[in-house]
Amino acid sequence: MDILKIEAVNKTFGDVQAVRDLSLKVGKGRIFGFIGPNGAGKTTTIRMVMQILLPDSGKIEIFGKPPEPGLTNRIGYLPEERGLYKKMKVEDQVAFLGEIKGLSHAASVAEAKKWLERVELAEWAGKKIEELSKGMQQKIQFVGAVLHQPELLILDEPFSGLDPVNTNLLKDILLGLKSSGATVIFSTHQMDQVEKLCDAICLIDHGRNLLEGSLPEVKARFGKGRVHLRYEGRADFLQNRSLVAEFNDYGKFVEIRPAAKVAPQDILQAAAREVTVTHFEIAEPSMNEIFIQVVQSKGGQA
Amino acid sequence: MKKIWVIIKREYLALVKTKGFILGTFLVPLLILLLAFLPAIFMSVGTEGERKIAVIDFTGRLLAPLQSHLSEIQAENPDQAPYRIQEMQADSSNIESRKAGLNSEILSGTLDAFLILPADIFENNQFELYAKNISNFQFNETLANRLTRVVSGIRLREIGLDPELVQRMNRSVRPKTYKVDERGAKEESGEITFGISYIMVFMIYMALIFYGIFVMRGVIEDKNSRMAEILLSSVRPHQLMAGKILGIGATGMTQLGIWGLTILLVSTYGLIMIRQFVPAVQEMPIPTISVWVILGFVVFFLIGFFLYSTIYAALGSMGNSESEMQNLQWPALSFIIIAFMLMFAVIKNPDGPMAVALSMFPFFSPILMFLRISLHAVPFYQVLLCIALCLVTIAGMVWISGRIYRVGILMYGKRPSLPELLKWIRYS
Repeated sequence: MDILKIEAVNKTFGDVQAVRDLSLKVGKGRIFGFIGPNGAGKTTTIRMVMQILLPDSGKIEIFGKPPEPGLTNRIGYLPEERGLYKKMKVEDQVAFLGEIKGLSHAASVAEAKKWLERVELAEWAGKKIEELSKGMQQKIQFVGAVLHQPELLILDEPFSGLDPVNTNLLKDILLGLKSSGATVIFSTHQMDQVEKLCDAICLIDHGRNLLEGSLPEVKARFGKGRVHLRYEGRADFLQNRSLVAEFNDYGKFVEIRPAAKVAPQDILQAAAREVTVTHFEIAEPSMNEIFIQVVQSKGGQA
Repeated sequence: MKKIWVIIKREYLALVKTKGFILGTFLVPLLILLLAFLPAIFMSVGTEGERKIAVIDFTGRLLAPLQSHLSEIQAENPDQAPYRIQEMQADSSNIESRKAGLNSEILSGTLDAFLILPADIFENNQFELYAKNISNFQFNETLANRLTRVVSGIRLREIGLDPELVQRMNRSVRPKTYKVDERGAKEESGEITFGISYIMVFMIYMALIFYGIFVMRGVIEDKNSRMAEILLSSVRPHQLMAGKILGIGATGMTQLGIWGLTILLVSTYGLIMIRQFVPAVQEMPIPTISVWVILGFVVFFLIGFFLYSTIYAALGSMGNSESEMQNLQWPALSFIIIAFMLMFAVIKNPDGPMAVALSMFPFFSPILMFLRISLHAVPFYQVLLCIALCLVTIAGMVWISGRIYRVGILMYGKRPSLPELLKWIRYS
């Protein structure tokens, strides 16, 4: 069953068409990466799913039903623009977020206590939000999105501003929610997270669905045969067009798409003549590469 | 419905716990108490001590009756400062040296004043008063009155009339005021009735401005703290706006309730208590506020609050930060201020055609119709008609404001122009 189904949805603000004939499906129990460049229409799409905005045309189905106010109680939402009442106590704020999702006061208070312990903020429960660090506020916000045990979680950049320890903590919680049957849609610019966490993705730009499918499917569509090199030195061979069709150089690491009929070994030989190769791998294209390729080649048509 | 309740609860608790609210709620009654009691306290404590006055009497027959008249008055008003009269003998030969001596006594403070009652006082109607401060109007006037009584008493007796009798004949007549309304006439003091009306109208005026600004600040806070999006992903915009307005309205009612109770206690028990200590307040009647006026106050405060707070909510949703509030609130504020200023025109003729027309205009009604009710100048059908008009207007404003709010709450950046606003209202 599809938890979320969007069909031919359009949304225009004044002269700007934010979402254009967009369709996508999110299967139950999956972690779904909703990606695209800044201003691609992700937030507008999410807001339409959350019934904050109404689509101009098209159809949205959540849990197999047309949107209705009661449905938002079954969804957890972490918006890109984080918001908390600064003067409120942590425990009150979290309980309030539970209550506006339909939990009873008692249940909200109990869940708030449980979740604050889970994210290691129990001793801050009585403090005001404004006394917390940004990272802590981020965790509070996250707790606010999950404490009512939503069946669908929509997270916009959930890891931004978190240190590796807290990123790990949240990731474990997400995987826990997934294994208990929840569906997660998350939007991010961190392609390595997409790579590691997502079962399926949808890439949109200029309000259009450019690429959709499970991660292996998507990658298969872009073929194998990428060369990943870790190296020391000056890599001038990358400029050799007869050898390298495309590359993404990080200075010590480079992703290479070999030119037609060039074997990965040829690249290794060319590289070994100029730099010290410390790592060589024949890989499938990274999400990062796919993202850049799709957005750069198709973005111009819009 | 439950979600509106959750929003109301949060708004109420968040506001009630702020320092400003707690201070305002308890300092204002304290101020009312002070204002009510201070004059009484001053009256009892603040009077000057006795005044020492030297009298040189050239007539030789004024001093004794003056002294007895003063002590009579003293017996009737024990809390007034007594005059201690000190007789000085003098004749035309030593008057100058006497005066010099008394002058220096006044300068040294052992004497407050001295009088020279000339022999021709009965013909020329003048006496001389020497004091350091001769601009104490009340003191001069009191002395003159007392002396006039004594002098005219002697004059009357000389032509064979009884001064007591003449005084009784000459007593002035005063009006006793009765207020006429539908339920008949009732004794009431004009000044106090007006004073209470004025205070209550002023309370509505301030409450509309203050609680309106609270609503506006609440809306801007939602935007500024980026809570709006989280809230709107859980509740409908109209639920959020309603919860916000009702929560802040409940806070306002709490505050006004505490203030009202204080005023009620002060004006009844407080006055009774003051009477115990300060006899001068004896004649002041305990002001009575009719049930209709209290009911009118509650009804028109609520009408005004809902009418203006929906506007304030819509205005708030157009702004981005608290610093914009000054500019944003003008459309609402100017109506409230104009209504308050028109109050003085309405008071002059509270049941004239202009007063009726102005008080029927829904944006002025909370202030002007209540004013007319408190002056008992409104037929009942006008009140009902006015309430109906106001409710229709509130419904309309809720609709318009709700639409502006729904769009504005998620918009950041430039404030909308009027055509843009109209577009927001038309958005489905």
